[in-house]
Amino acid sequence: LAELLNMCDGKLLGFVASFVGPRLKRDPFSSLPNELCLRILTFVDDAKALARSSQVSKRWRELVNDDLAWKSLCESHAFRRLSDEAPVSHSRRVPAAQSSNQEHNYPYGLHNSALQGLSSSAPDLTRRISMNTCPAMLADTQSPRVTPSSTNKRRPKAMTYRSHFKQRYQVETAWRTGGTVHPRQITPDQGVVTSLHLTRNYIIVALDNAKIHVFDPEGRHLRCLQGHVMGVWAMVPHGDTLVSGGCDRDVRVWDLQTGQAVHMLRGHTSTVRCLKMSGSNIAISGSRDTTLRIWDIRKGICRHVLVGHQASVRCLEIHGDLVVSGSYDTTARIWSISEGRCLRTLQGHFSQIYAVAFDGKRVATGSLDTSVRVWDPKDGRCLAQLQGHTSLVGQLQLRNDTLVTGGSDGSVRVWSLQTYSAIHRLAAHDNSVTSLQFDDSRIVSGGSDGRVKVWDLDRGVLIRELGSPAEAVWRVVFEEEKAVVLASRNGKTVMEVWSFAPPAEDD
Amino acid sequence: MATEGDQLVKLESSDHVIIDTDRKTAERSMLIKNMIEDLGSPGEEPIPIMNVSETVLRKVIDWCTHHKNDPPPSAEDDADSRKKTTDIEDWDQKFMQVDQEMLFEIILAANYMDIKALLDVGCKTVANMIKGKSPEEIRKTFNIQNDFTPEEEDQIRRENEWAEDR
Repeated sequence: LAELLNMCDGKLLGFVASFVGPRLKRDPFSSLPNELCLRILTFVDDAKALARSSQVSKRWRELVNDDLAWKSLCESHAFRRLSDEAPVSHSRRVPAAQSSNQEHNYPYGLHNSALQGLSSSAPDLTRRISMNTCPAMLADTQSPRVTPSSTNKRRPKAMTYRSHFKQRYQVETAWRTGGTVHPRQITPDQGVVTSLHLTRNYIIVALDNAKIHVFDPEGRHLRCLQGHVMGVWAMVPHGDTLVSGGCDRDVRVWDLQTGQAVHMLRGHTSTVRCLKMSGSNIAISGSRDTTLRIWDIRKGICRHVLVGHQASVRCLEIHGDLVVSGSYDTTARIWSISEGRCLRTLQGHFSQIYAVAFDGKRVATGSLDTSVRVWDPKDGRCLAQLQGHTSLVGQLQLRNDTLVTGGSDGSVRVWSLQTYSAIHRLAAHDNSVTSLQFDDSRIVSGGSDGRVKVWDLDRGVLIRELGSPAEAVWRVVFEEEKAVVLASRNGKTVMEVWSFAPPAEDD
Repeated sequence: MATEGDQLVKLESSDHVIIDTDRKTAERSMLIKNMIEDLGSPGEEPIPIMNVSETVLRKVIDWCTHHKNDPPPSAEDDADSRKKTTDIEDWDQKFMQVDQEMLFEIILAANYMDIKALLDVGCKTVANMIKGKSPEEIRKTFNIQNDFTPEEEDQIRRENEWAEDR
């Protein structure tokens, strides 16, 4: 045969090749038993390739429609992006303290590791920005919809890995290149947004003009809470309760359903600068009068006054019975909520502290001295001093072993808390970073340069800019399928609600 | 000094050819390992590998010889190997540069002889032949007849449009 082929010219050899070629090829899925075919498909590990495979032939379609390959795909994506794989209706973040009790309905009980990843995550609320879901709200997770038009809650739960994957994939794609936005002007005049919260039932916006606006999750205006006489500088929601404070020194407790003021708590002698809640009954406020106050908001009384700081209390964070406060006196203090006393003072910064994050295991503080410090809350030891920012560090979020910081230098930095070193340095904004939030896959930052940017957390690259540049971005928060941007456009304060929910199921 | 791993093992292919190898190499196959353990020692009789022909068996033994000092598979191996799908080491990639018939025979043999690492390399190789191709290119790669009607094809394309959208 070799001699025969040796006698052939190019044209003949070409014919031989085209004749022999297909005979050397073989359909793996007709040569191999099903379990091996499916094993191969689990290695395809790419949605596009799987979807294309199902268009090859009837046999291929039948195999690809077996959920095993999609299960594998779900798992491999869950490995990279935990949050993407949590089923939509249960995907909101849960405060760590409550999370262990929550039942998450995962299709087929998958994603054990994903579930752990979500549950163990720290309460990662940056200074006045949160996307927290409070225990009271979680309790009604299974109850009928409060807001009738919320698309992601009406959507039937994915019944197969394939449809589950498809939904998550579409959300991911929308985050990269799509999404729909509904802009709303919220004040006829110019108002600085001082605080923004996105919860299961509400979007709540506080302004420096003393007003607090309450919207439904789609951005429809529900009511305006009026009572404060000067700018509102801090607020924290918990279920249908909102606690707020500001320049008028009063801490007010509101019922978000009725818009009624429940309590007006007096005691602070200067502006209330920060507020957090511990459970549904306790609120803690920090003030320019240098004290913190622990309030019982059911009874409407002050339980403790925490005295010790020498200057304005700028930020605070709670975990369990501990509250950590950051002050302009350059120190942070750890207090016991139940005992109402200072346990430790964290000394080291050379200048005012503007931001604090605390997950129970570690405290992180950001300061005007341009450094970030990480502390051990048990003994008050400074574990690390993270250098790199060239200006005030005003934004901090801590989640598992990752810390993300944003500064007035416009940069966003991602740090590893295992090595205490910078993983990514992002030249995010021309001016101050005004807002910062991250989850397992992305970082969203807002800047006084008017831009909102979405970043890939793992790779540290820009994914997109959300919307066209505004004059300034006051606040940004996001959750699984939604982002809310408060910005100034044409001299007016506008709210833009972005949705990344997949289109209604048609197959 | 001869150790247990150097003991001679005789394997008999489906076409009755006896192939000599050493115990350590042969025990990459859990099938053979279990048989030897049941017997207590390799023994004189050749071990029949009933579903595998001589050519394929020699190829499989080549692979086992190269990999005989690999750490034994652990419980987490399964999860691990799935993380990095396209990771096939250079030697294995060259090893898998065979015609498709041989490739599928190796996969079948690895499955029968219970050599998980080889099975995964084989499956990954096929998976990599599928990835990044259009349905028509996949058909060409494996010489597959398109047995859909144009209507069916259109319908399936629409069902799968979401995955193209990135």
